[in-house]
Amino acid sequence: MTPRAIVEARSVGRVFPMPAGPVTALRDVSLRIDAADYVAITGPSGCGKSTLLHLVGCVDAPTSGSIVFEDRDVQSLGETARSRIRLTRIGFVFQRFFLLPMLTAGENIELPQAEAGVPAAARRARTAELLEYVGLANRADHLPSQLSGGEMQRTAIARALANRPALLVADEPTGELDEETGEHVAALFDRVHADGTAILMVTHNAALAARATRRYAMKNGMLAS
Amino acid sequence: MTSAWLAWRTMRRYRARTALATIGVAIIGALLFDMLLLSRGLVTSFADLLNHSGYDVRVLNSQGFSLARATIPRASEVDAAIARLPEVASVARIRLEPATAMHHGADINVALISSTHSGTQVAWTLISGADLPADGASADRCPVLVASNLAARLELQPGAPLSLRAGVSGERSVLPAVACRVVGIGASPFSAGDEYQVLTTLSGMRAVRGGADDDTADVVLVASRPESGPAAAVHAIAARHPDLHVYSNEDVVEQFNQNGFAYFRQISVVLSSITIVFTVLLVATILTVSTNQRLGEIAALRALGIGRRRIATMLLWESVLIVGVGGLLALPLGGLVAVGLDGILKQMPGIPEALHFFVFEGRAVALHALLLSTTALVAALYPMWLTARLPIASTLRREVVG
Repeated sequence: MTPRAIVEARSVGRVFPMPAGPVTALRDVSLRIDAADYVAITGPSGCGKSTLLHLVGCVDAPTSGSIVFEDRDVQSLGETARSRIRLTRIGFVFQRFFLLPMLTAGENIELPQAEAGVPAAARRARTAELLEYVGLANRADHLPSQLSGGEMQRTAIARALANRPALLVADEPTGELDEETGEHVAALFDRVHADGTAILMVTHNAALAARATRRYAMKNGMLAS
Repeated sequence: MTSAWLAWRTMRRYRARTALATIGVAIIGALLFDMLLLSRGLVTSFADLLNHSGYDVRVLNSQGFSLARATIPRASEVDAAIARLPEVASVARIRLEPATAMHHGADINVALISSTHSGTQVAWTLISGADLPADGASADRCPVLVASNLAARLELQPGAPLSLRAGVSGERSVLPAVACRVVGIGASPFSAGDEYQVLTTLSGMRAVRGGADDDTADVVLVASRPESGPAAAVHAIAARHPDLHVYSNEDVVEQFNQNGFAYFRQISVVLSSITIVFTVLLVATILTVSTNQRLGEIAALRALGIGRRRIATMLLWESVLIVGVGGLLALPLGGLVAVGLDGILKQMPGIPEALHFFVFEGRAVALHALLLSTTALVAALYPMWLTARLPIASTLRREVVG
């Protein structure tokens, strides 16, 4: 039996209008991510990796082709519905973490749950569970400024997992980390995948990409296995 | 984890920015509050002053309150006729005459006022000595109640002699001074700081004027019966004396509001508008700069599925908290500034001691709160629009490249 696709990019293209003329970031790219997938996309800067990740993560819309997320054409959805998909079905991990500096690690993890309407007691329990999962149980009350880079990224991963998403998308998740810390974060991604969450990752880090079950190289806006 | 809570945490995180913005709003808000107090302060104070006199109707022989003096002839007849009206409780006749007070070689120009009633019945407050007796009830030829500033200047005590010479024109200008006796020292709410007032009886005034009695009055003060009210009294007096001009206290206040005090209201409106614009600009600038510094965070929150509404509401709450706390601090600060400004403005010549330019009213506080609430909303509009329209993908890309 064919596994159910979480998200499918169908012949998507993305052209950015620029003052000096339109720039084509993606050309006729197709990609399907299933529930058990761990997909890594590598390529040089400016090749369109992040653009594809943004399309699959429902934060951008293609200029041609379509994105289908769990059988729904994303372009036909309004911003509220797309936001709801991002909140409950997709988890984002960014290169620069983007934790809210005024909230503690625990509160950063609670925030998406609060937005999803999870009751306070359940939020606290889930947050404690996730902090334990990423090895930061003793850092719940620390502000991001009191955490190391690796700890911040692990908090960000916990935040991305807060609403039990089907897909985790990560944009250069080890880009700001040293090699050893990056290795710890990479191991955490392995664990997330092993526990049943699909992952789409774009990275320059060949070692990190090598841990994925499917790897693609991207060049000039086109995808190659 | 409400938007208000997030806003509060943001403000705590960026303490210096929050403190500067709040202080800025407090200072501008204090000026706004002062302008609101000024817009009605003089009128409110003037109304209080009139009502404090115990008389709610004034009868004059001139339209309005022109500087040109037009006295009421046959004042005793007018007084008696008005007193007989069923709508009227009591009547006091007031006569004003410039005079010179002489004591131990010092000559001081004073405003000599005669009244058919005692001092306390025409709103004077007795400080020491005895009240001025009602006309004809004293053996003294010329009993006087002197204002405290004159008493201090001439070192007068109750029982002291005081020579008064009328400042009349014509052949009587050579009248000798009359020896009066200070029965008490008091204060009139209508007395200006730079003016010396002396209150006496009709007999006392007659004596100072060299025995001449032209039976005139500058104003007849009327207290209406409570069951009739001032409007009925005005109507009855006007019907009985169509040749005179009759005003209730409300009429007088309204006339001053339309004429004399309109300048203060206009100044207040202009300065209030300017302070509101400054508040909007200050808060909007701070929120916009703060939002621009947090675009990456905001785009990431949007990518995580945090709704536009929550982020916009958080910004609105930041604005409300800054303006709210600043607005609250503005009240005592504005109060202090108002006391200082009131003291300066009251140094203008001819301003009665009891008149204030800035009067605290609940209405001013309510209007202050309403204007600042609107300001908070307007100031947050642009940053809210900025975040609502934020392109998530390109912002994230820009933040990473940057």
